[in-house]
Amino acid sequence: MYLVIVGGGKVGAPLASSLINEGHEVFVLDNDPDVVASLQRELGMIATIGEATSVRALQDAGASRAGAIIATTGSDADNLAACQLARTNFDVARTIAIAHSPENAELFDRSGVDLVVSATDLVLANLATALPAHPLIRLMPVADRSQELVAIKLPSAGTAVGRTLSELRLPYGTKIVLMITAAGQSKPPDSDALIEAEDEIIALSPANSTAELWELLTELR
Amino acid sequence: MNVIIVGAGNLGSSLARKLSDLGHKITVIEKNSKAVSLLPRGRVDSGAITVIHRDGSTGAAMLEAGVTSADVFIAATGKDSLNGLAAQRAKTIFRVEKVMTIVRDEGARILYDSLGISTINKATLASDRLVSVLTEEA
Repeated sequence: MYLVIVGGGKVGAPLASSLINEGHEVFVLDNDPDVVASLQRELGMIATIGEATSVRALQDAGASRAGAIIATTGSDADNLAACQLARTNFDVARTIAIAHSPENAELFDRSGVDLVVSATDLVLANLATALPAHPLIRLMPVADRSQELVAIKLPSAGTAVGRTLSELRLPYGTKIVLMITAAGQSKPPDSDALIEAEDEIIALSPANSTAELWELLTELR
Repeated sequence: MNVIIVGAGNLGSSLARKLSDLGHKITVIEKNSKAVSLLPRGRVDSGAITVIHRDGSTGAAMLEAGVTSADVFIAATGKDSLNGLAAQRAKTIFRVEKVMTIVRDEGARILYDSLGISTINKATLASDRLVSVLTEEA
């Protein structure tokens, strides 16, 4: 597939290289002549100098025959504009953008960007899995980010331990999807399921109730 | 009317002055503390024009500026994409009734017009005006 990458920096350059290795035809647009020169040295004539938000530059990069555009600049404003300009002017089928701030991730979603990569969510998800003391993991946003799938690991001295699911006063709208024991066994989330120390609970939670759910499940005796 | 203007450059400042003359309540968001020197000092001191020193494209700055009770939101920074982001947040997230943006690039004008945001192209406006003056003289 022919792909236009806007921004050839810390994300765009390695992305271009790995997409080329996967057999895609890639072209990079960046406003920094040094960045473009270095891409041309390493990957060949696959980069040109131009502004992310210029219709002319997008055209020069071949946006009219691109199967997708991937906006990876350091500016959220430019990433959104590049995707929207590519869609309206060149009918690019798939628009993908990095959002550096979480509130922009939501705005991108609602502004028609097909795939939004939230830099903050990625870092947080990685940190959360790396740090056992941080037992809330946001697995996936659901339904325009109004809900999310989360995993919460219960402390052994938590007040929830030893109770059944029906005894918990879950926040309104929260659905427990699955419970996984410390040994890796899954338990169906029936109302009489017993909560044990170190259980991991996977829940579908309204985004604004996740903090409350986390407090409920991790509250210490 | 409650009017929020993002950007206190030449255009944002003169817009704030004129709308304030007409009796509107103006809040200007400008991140650069030097740029606000273009605003009419007396109006700022008397509170007729409120100034907020923050990045005007963020939701936090918009909330501080009272975006939930704003009638008009005008994005007037020097950068099209930043204006577009701020204007779309005002319209999509905060549902401000009238959202306008200044644009320099024709591609941006077409894009934001298609999203229901009123656009004003500085360059076109200036050249149209010049042409009409010249035509009247001829």
